[in-house]
Amino acid sequence: MAKKHISFTLNGAAVETLVEPRELLIHVLREELRQTGSHIGCETSHCGACTVDLNGKSVKSCTVLAVQADGGEVLTVEGLAQNGQLHPLQEGFMQEHGLQCGFCTPGMLMRSYRFLQENPKPTDDEVRMGMSGNLCRCTGYMNIVKAVQYAAKKIQTPGGK
Amino acid sequence: MEVKLEKKFSIAAPAANAWRLLQDIKAVAECMPGAQITEQLDDTHYKGQVKMRLGPASATFNGELEVKSLDPNEKKMEMFGKGTDTTGASAATMNLTARVLDSGNGQCELVGVSDVSVSGKMANFGGRMMNQVSEQILKQFGDNFTSRVMAMGEGAAAEQAAAAVAQQPKELNALALIWHALLGFFKSLFGGGKA
Amino acid sequence: MATTAESMEREQKLEGIGCSRKRKEDPRFIQGKGNYVDDVNLAGTLFASVVRSPHAHARIKSINKAKALALPGVHAVLTADDLKPLKLHWMPTLAGDVQAVLADEKVCFQYQEVAVVIADNRYIAADGVDLVEVEYEPLPALVDPHKAMDADAPIIREDLVGKDEAGQGKRLHNNHIFRWEVGDKAGTDKVFAGAEVTVKQAMLNPRVHPCPLETCGCVASFDKVRGDLTVYITSQAPHVVRTVVSILSGLPESKIRVISPDIGGGFGNKVGVYPGYVTAIVASIVLGRPVKWIESRIENLSTTAFARDYHMVGELAADKNGRIKALRVNVLADHGAFNSHAQPTKWPAGLFSVCTGSYDIPVAYVKVDGVYTNKAPGGVAYRCSFRVTEAVHLIERMIDILAQKLDIDKAEIRFRNFIKPEQFPYHTALDWEYDSGNYPAALKKVMEAVDYAGLRKEQEEKRKKGELMGIGICTFTEIVGAGPSKACDILGVGMFDSCEIRVHPTGSAIARMGTQSTGQAHETTYAQIIATELGLPSEVIQVEEGDTSTAPYGLGTYGSRSTPVGGAATANAARKIRDKARKIAAHLLEVSPDDLDWEIDRFKVKGVPGQEKTMKEIAWAAYNNVPAGMEMGLEAVEYYDPPNFTYPFGAYICVLDIDRHTGESKVRRFYALDDCGTRINPMIIEGQIHGGLTEAYAVAMGQLIAFDANGNLLSNSLMDYFVPTAVETPKWETDFTVTPSPHHPLGAKGVAESPHVGGIPCFTNAVNDAFSHLGVTQIEMPHTSFNVWKTIHELGLDKQV
Repeated sequence: MAKKHISFTLNGAAVETLVEPRELLIHVLREELRQTGSHIGCETSHCGACTVDLNGKSVKSCTVLAVQADGGEVLTVEGLAQNGQLHPLQEGFMQEHGLQCGFCTPGMLMRSYRFLQENPKPTDDEVRMGMSGNLCRCTGYMNIVKAVQYAAKKIQTPGGK
Repeated sequence: MEVKLEKKFSIAAPAANAWRLLQDIKAVAECMPGAQITEQLDDTHYKGQVKMRLGPASATFNGELEVKSLDPNEKKMEMFGKGTDTTGASAATMNLTARVLDSGNGQCELVGVSDVSVSGKMANFGGRMMNQVSEQILKQFGDNFTSRVMAMGEGAAAEQAAAAVAQQPKELNALALIWHALLGFFKSLFGGGKA
Repeated sequence: MATTAESMEREQKLEGIGCSRKRKEDPRFIQGKGNYVDDVNLAGTLFASVVRSPHAHARIKSINKAKALALPGVHAVLTADDLKPLKLHWMPTLAGDVQAVLADEKVCFQYQEVAVVIADNRYIAADGVDLVEVEYEPLPALVDPHKAMDADAPIIREDLVGKDEAGQGKRLHNNHIFRWEVGDKAGTDKVFAGAEVTVKQAMLNPRVHPCPLETCGCVASFDKVRGDLTVYITSQAPHVVRTVVSILSGLPESKIRVISPDIGGGFGNKVGVYPGYVTAIVASIVLGRPVKWIESRIENLSTTAFARDYHMVGELAADKNGRIKALRVNVLADHGAFNSHAQPTKWPAGLFSVCTGSYDIPVAYVKVDGVYTNKAPGGVAYRCSFRVTEAVHLIERMIDILAQKLDIDKAEIRFRNFIKPEQFPYHTALDWEYDSGNYPAALKKVMEAVDYAGLRKEQEEKRKKGELMGIGICTFTEIVGAGPSKACDILGVGMFDSCEIRVHPTGSAIARMGTQSTGQAHETTYAQIIATELGLPSEVIQVEEGDTSTAPYGLGTYGSRSTPVGGAATANAARKIRDKARKIAAHLLEVSPDDLDWEIDRFKVKGVPGQEKTMKEIAWAAYNNVPAGMEMGLEAVEYYDPPNFTYPFGAYICVLDIDRHTGESKVRRFYALDDCGTRINPMIIEGQIHGGLTEAYAVAMGQLIAFDANGNLLSNSLMDYFVPTAVETPKWETDFTVTPSPHHPLGAKGVAESPHVGGIPCFTNAVNDAFSHLGVTQIEMPHTSFNVWKTIHELGLDKQV
């Protein structure tokens, strides 16, 4: 199968690569583009470890063909910190002990990043519902909710973000 | 993973014709979408193939069919079939009993009862759709069988039936089956009866 | 112990034991810079993908590799025939059995490894797998363990025919693995014969799977020039892997480097050596290039270490006041097609005999029969502490059933039977010596916190209205920290553990242990131990694990053994350093070592204020000014052989409400009190409890690795295998007491498995309690809405208005 040339913005920088039409975005991110922050935890689109932000939406990059990102904007966990400053979500996860093995964490961060844009002042139950596409085996979710709320408050505070 | 199926098909043709067709194993096999007999080993043993498509992916199942009994008085046939896909990823066996019942007025009924057992990937993941997809497969089989029997007769109905037989697709299109199965499932939820 | 404001400030700066300091691991994980096995990217890496059996039991008639080998990008296709000359087609397991690396003439479980395709990338490897043609002749599958020893049962292990031992004692049948008995059979039978009250109940601890978010995998890289093998691997026990690989490959351990980098959750799923690892290593040795094997989620759920599958019958003999006089247990253990689970050699049923629980039971007898079936191998996994989940499940259900029979309150009956605080150290009827505990205090505290009396009143009112409310209690005793080497070994290696610490001249330090973190934050907690012992801030203590070329030999992490064994080794190594530091301080201060007191971070001359040396100052001196006759440097190694296991315990209460029409259970409250002795980092402990309880919830309420009668897996993907999301997971309340372990240098016991061990019985007791006023004595897990509804429907409860 002849490869296709695709180009898109990854974490603010232009990237381009050749991909087979059947290649998944998660593989292209991790292997061709060497951004291994997004992870693979299943192959049935349930776990959310591969969650990234594509054209302003949370997507499970294991269920997106790389060619679908052509001409688009992709944000991964590697692009959350800006100018050496951690994103409030990253701070929140560390402050509230929202991670243990760290495998689900990039997906949690990328989903909560978009979620807080969709719902900047959520209740705890809304956070749980908004994050229900991301599985975690270690934390039991209590501290993840706290971490997201920490970030929500910080982002809402003037000068906080 | 086992599925028990029972199906009745009403055929607007004499029972004798239906029974004659039932004994023509090659023709019966061809009523199954995508299937064909490739070799006859002896009086009761045959080798066959079913070509299946699921969207862009296709698989070929190779199998064996054995006619275990033929009872002309009862117009009843029992057969056993088993097949595996060539990579070994899935396998299936089936016991089928088919009977032709005379309904009078030159009409008859084909009654099929089967036990299908599936292993491998189909059993792991196809299980949830097995009943509905099998229903669809049997429905297509029944339609094809009915067309062939009717084509054996005379007149306009027979000519129409013969045309239908010629138009049969040569492979089992699984996506189409699943789509029909889904439609059937939802219909049945709303009391539309079995599709 | 800090007593002044000034000394308290110094202590706080250390962020040592007891401090909920933030984790040192976090910075890399929150920035996507973790280094998991699939992130490892060596030049020239090939990808391995496994061809697997669709049948649970079948003969292999032929394997045709031609089409696969013809695919551009495929480098090799390995089958058992390729491994035979290397004698690697079979490998030893951790339980004294052997397991097929690639199926040799027959397959014994669905998805068993049959061939491996090595290709340029994962896509071509997957294409190659589809092109390998295998012809099978299906055989009848044995799926029901109760039929395993029938005269006409299919024979699964033809390789064992004629062998009356499979590494665990005499076998009674070709599908029998072992019979293990412990306790006093005659004495127990006698008590049962004369008892005032007896109860007997069969119960199933169903087959489940730990399902860590990261699947198993490795990158094997054999350097043909140097003759070195490096293996990056998802392993909770890298040193054990190195030893096993050395035995299998013939390479000396000095030429093998095993590295467990960051691991995305273990939960016992990453202890064993899987065929995928062995074939990747063989492929790398043969092809001279790195080979990466990463399994899919379906492969993980279908073939790697499952947990439980214990079919148990429990019996209690008691007096009419509910005072237990004897326990009798019979277990049928379904081990799958090969006996491969991790266990200390002499315990084929792990530590199951801790099933006398938190109760003072004078006599007991346990019999466990292990059998083979046509299912994946395993059994010990998933935060089980070596079958302690099964043991606690049994005794906690049995005591509830006894309470139900005698119409005694389920908390009250526990108080009547608890081992009392003054009875410690307590020797159980099945030969364990519990180190310390205070069970009544723990249960009392929890009952007050949830207003237990109020809940029972509420339940009575609700029952009158036909509503279903359940109150579950679990008071468990755990046994962790395997273990004393005279009793515990894996493949002959004693279960000690180790720590090596080196302090640098400018007062920071590096430490390496033989354990392996998979999310438990060892980089943080071990640093905290060293900080308190050495008076150096935990922030400057670098902790490393997992690289067998640098870390001292250890048995790895599972069964909550890191703190009890690794933590003890760490404390003792640090104390050796402090002993040397004392002598250096004495030398610097020109006094005798006995004239010095250690206070938080410095040695002070007794009675002479201002005469002191900090550990930081001593570190510098260690490299240039030491007493005559003393070596320079400031480091120590400790190999710690624990004198005993440790016994954390807890009391949990769960309140749930069941919808009478749908069978759905809503957990209203879950209050968990844990006692793990000394608490190193309370924040991390609480996180572990949350996680363990969530996994317990998953097991009790929805998880099942299900098979049909032909051995086909029905729940081997996340479409069907229940992993809870944030929505259904209950909100946890945690509490604690502190009863230190008398034999541990820090008094610490370990905790991470307790919430799973105690959580599962608490949930199932709650669901059972919701129905116990209707005479129901046992509803089996998992308590899915459908399963609970079946009971509701049978009782006609959904018909009432």
